[in-house]
Amino acid sequence: MNALSRRSFRWLAPAAAVLATLLLWQLVTAGGLFRADQFPTMTDTMIALGKAVATPPYWAAIGATVQAWFLGLVIASVLAITIGSALAFNDFAFRSAASVIEIFKAIPAIAILPLVILVLGSTLPMKVFLIAFGVFWPLVIQVIYGVRSMDPTVLDTSKALGVRGVRRFFMVVIPSASPYIATGLRIASASALILAVVSELVGGASGIGRNILQAQNGGTAAYPVMYAYIITAGLIGIILTGAFFLLERNVMHWHESQRNIRSNSEGALK
Amino acid sequence: MTQTITPEVVPERAAGASIGETTDLLVSPRRVRSRGARVRNVLLAIWLPIALLVIWWFASASSTSPFFPPLSRILEEFWAQWIVGPASMQLGSSLRNLALGYLGGALIGIVFGTLLWRFPPVRHVSNPLIYFLYVLPAPALLPAMIALFGIGELRQIALISFGAIWPTLLNTLDGMRGLDQVKFDTARAMKLSPLRQLFSLVLPGASPQIAAGLRASLQTSIILMVVTEMVAAKQGIGYFILQAQTVFAITSMWTGILMLAIIGTAANYLFVGVERIVLRWYYRSRALTNS
Repeated sequence: MNALSRRSFRWLAPAAAVLATLLLWQLVTAGGLFRADQFPTMTDTMIALGKAVATPPYWAAIGATVQAWFLGLVIASVLAITIGSALAFNDFAFRSAASVIEIFKAIPAIAILPLVILVLGSTLPMKVFLIAFGVFWPLVIQVIYGVRSMDPTVLDTSKALGVRGVRRFFMVVIPSASPYIATGLRIASASALILAVVSELVGGASGIGRNILQAQNGGTAAYPVMYAYIITAGLIGIILTGAFFLLERNVMHWHESQRNIRSNSEGALK
Repeated sequence: MTQTITPEVVPERAAGASIGETTDLLVSPRRVRSRGARVRNVLLAIWLPIALLVIWWFASASSTSPFFPPLSRILEEFWAQWIVGPASMQLGSSLRNLALGYLGGALIGIVFGTLLWRFPPVRHVSNPLIYFLYVLPAPALLPAMIALFGIGELRQIALISFGAIWPTLLNTLDGMRGLDQVKFDTARAMKLSPLRQLFSLVLPGASPQIAAGLRASLQTSIILMVVTEMVAAKQGIGYFILQAQTVFAITSMWTGILMLAIIGTAANYLFVGVERIVLRWYYRSRALTNS
């Protein structure tokens, strides 16, 4: 294969696969394998999506979901980074708290959803609390390991240079732990989105999840709308996860695990 | 999107640094020599959870808030509902769905992850689709699945499996892609058959990262188990919790939450236990290089 066709294969083949899937969808639904009250055709869904995109409620739903995702993630990260670093520097505190963190991490966050709904209602604070609670525990573990894996020489050097306090925290500790934090954030971002959707589906707070459920309750005619919102949920996932994935790759390009994958994929392309 | 997809993994595992999860650290890496030190470690690990329970017990003892009943009453109710009472039936159905869904999804994930690794063109072509399915929040599919198939256990299991596939699949693929090329040259020099290569080189080599994927899948499965029961079932722990909330039986609801916490923790420890046995060689070699 020459360079040009290889490059075009790289871009065209995945695009063709997406198109083929959409076509297949159209064929099985229009061809009668599924009835319209089970699975709408691709064209109907796309029309519904196109119509929805032009309306303010569509963007309001996206806004509600993303807002909860963002607030929950920010609160959880700030707490995880401060508490995690504090625990990492004190062996006694770390070893005492480890089992508690591990237990809370094992509790599926949605278990407390009914309780949170009772206390806070179907509101934004309910979503934010649920997301922050669910995301905090895995994230704090990442932070602790990131800080603890710091090279002692680096810490000694910063001491010798007189870098201390807040400045050391931001200039030495956080950068050293950043690959771990970046990975933690990417995973957290995905679970935060799942929790946002769940809190809308089960908890009835406004957002994409509630719109999906409403469309399903709206009967057969609304099914294309339901799938339009499901596709939207996936697209939001692509954007949010993709952003963190890029961040992680850029922060971590020197890391051993990334290097190996990269050199292998380069080798495969040659 | 030529770069293949994200490992749901803690990179340190793949990199083989001396880090695992907290449980690992509590149980072993540093060999505990004397008995006194071991006792001290156990005490260090359990004093805080116990202290928190005691605080909860006394702080809630005279609680009049409807949302936070006394712990003593929750425990009584727990005994009455889950140990000797009717709710234990819900437990069986939940655990069965979880086990079947998780194992099914994990198996599909490993098999297809291996296939995608073996056939790069397929991987390349299907990359955007897999990525879409991976980032799509699985609960969003639930209403569609209800519309398609109605309500039933098989659908619940299917959705749990669906969610469990992706972390395992992507980590399998990534672990295999991260393998050292020299190992393949060695295998070629030794004239190992492809099947032999798969079982004695590829799968073991990628297994630490596959394990990390399996763990992420397990967590997704538990979430999906609860969500499916809350939205689309007439039984199970999630159904029990939501039902209790609807009729304002707060103490019952708390017992359900407690039960879920126990299941989550037990599943996690079970996983760690199995992982330690299966990956014993890996931890051992890691301990050797670190010392």
